[in-house]
Amino acid sequence: MGRSPADVARTRALWTANKPGETAAPAYVPDPPAWWQAGLALAAALLVQTSLAAHLQFRGATISFVTLIVAWYAVRTGSLRGLTFGLIAGACEDALAGSTGAAWTFATGLVGLACGRFCGTWFADTRLALIPGAAVATFLRYCAFAVAMQLEGRPIPLPLAHLHAAFWQSALDALVAFAVLQTIPRLGGSRAHRR
Amino acid sequence: MIVAAAIALIQLESLKTGKPSVIAIAVSSVAIFAQDASALIGETVRGGAASLANAPRLAGQNAALREKNRALRAENARLREALEESPDARAIAALAAQLGSGTVATVVGYDPENVSRTVTIDRGSVAGVKLDDGVIDDDGVVGRVVNVEPLSSTVLLVTDGASKLPAVVQRGRWWGIATGTSSAIRLEYVSQDAKLRLGDAVVTGEGRSFHAGFEIGVVTRIDHPEGALYQTAVVTPSVAFGRLAHVVVLAR
Repeated sequence: MGRSPADVARTRALWTANKPGETAAPAYVPDPPAWWQAGLALAAALLVQTSLAAHLQFRGATISFVTLIVAWYAVRTGSLRGLTFGLIAGACEDALAGSTGAAWTFATGLVGLACGRFCGTWFADTRLALIPGAAVATFLRYCAFAVAMQLEGRPIPLPLAHLHAAFWQSALDALVAFAVLQTIPRLGGSRAHRR
Repeated sequence: MIVAAAIALIQLESLKTGKPSVIAIAVSSVAIFAQDASALIGETVRGGAASLANAPRLAGQNAALREKNRALRAENARLREALEESPDARAIAALAAQLGSGTVATVVGYDPENVSRTVTIDRGSVAGVKLDDGVIDDDGVVGRVVNVEPLSSTVLLVTDGASKLPAVVQRGRWWGIATGTSSAIRLEYVSQDAKLRLGDAVVTGEGRSFHAGFEIGVVTRIDHPEGALYQTAVVTPSVAFGRLAHVVVLAR
């Protein structure tokens, strides 16, 4: 993925913005993907999930490509953009699910915010952190969804079965994150921009 | 920041009014075309797979013809393929005609996160679908409509944990409540003096979404605990939810 002159200029600005006397590169430099790439990835993820979710079950769980894409975008862009993208993705899921009110909107927004918040801290240390990060994001999203559903007055039926499925979904998402990062390492961010 | 706040407020407003939000209407209206195309591709692939599975049998039946005439063999395979595909559509059309006011719809999507057992159908308020309408296919009860958009609707399957339908054991007219358990249906609150048997047919009772008599499934296990007020039974649905393609929405 080529970097635009604006991105390069911003990166340089961030490097020179170190405190006086500091010579090390900043721990993390945002490297945002183009908005259309993220939008296209989200649309594809939604289409795959709505078409195949029922056929791709493993112990009641399906891979949540939407969570992975939101986490990826948030890690690459920061908390505010992550929050906005998460809200958009969640609103789309609520629209397609039909019976979840706004639960996915707020749960996915929260995940975008959290992933964006951590992108400059321990998430930046290594790409390997992204893999358990995907699992944690998935589980956090499910918990937030369950709380939002409860607040909306429509508690999840069979909560234990769903919790079990949420664990499996977290594991599946981590597996997919691992496979994707092994196959296309640059999706985890440019190594040159990680300390 | 403004965009994020706007999305959150729109969704909150939708929750407050109980109506689909502008975002939901826009997304579902656009997505229905992509889902329609995706469902068509899926159906074609499934049809192709079914043809492949049946190939040995068809080859055996057509061996004599193949030797005699290559053209006749090709035509025969095409006709058999048409026969494989048409019964479902024919049965659904016949069912809709029999019911009079039913709306035929195609299943085009599933719950994206698989948290609830729901399907999306390609008929909405424009086609006259209303909230709580019952949905069946030629095998029996599929579920009821829980969300209506202009061009699509969401159907809560009878196997979802939130689905509760009044049900009757056909032999004996014993009443109960059919509740989803994710993979099957549990018939609850059946009187202790009901003499349930394995294989008993369970049908809908007169209720909000269905008139009486639509088949839900058959009893495959009976729990008759000593001292309990009610007995329960596990009902295997008569509908194969894994290969739902066409359904009929019943107007109330």
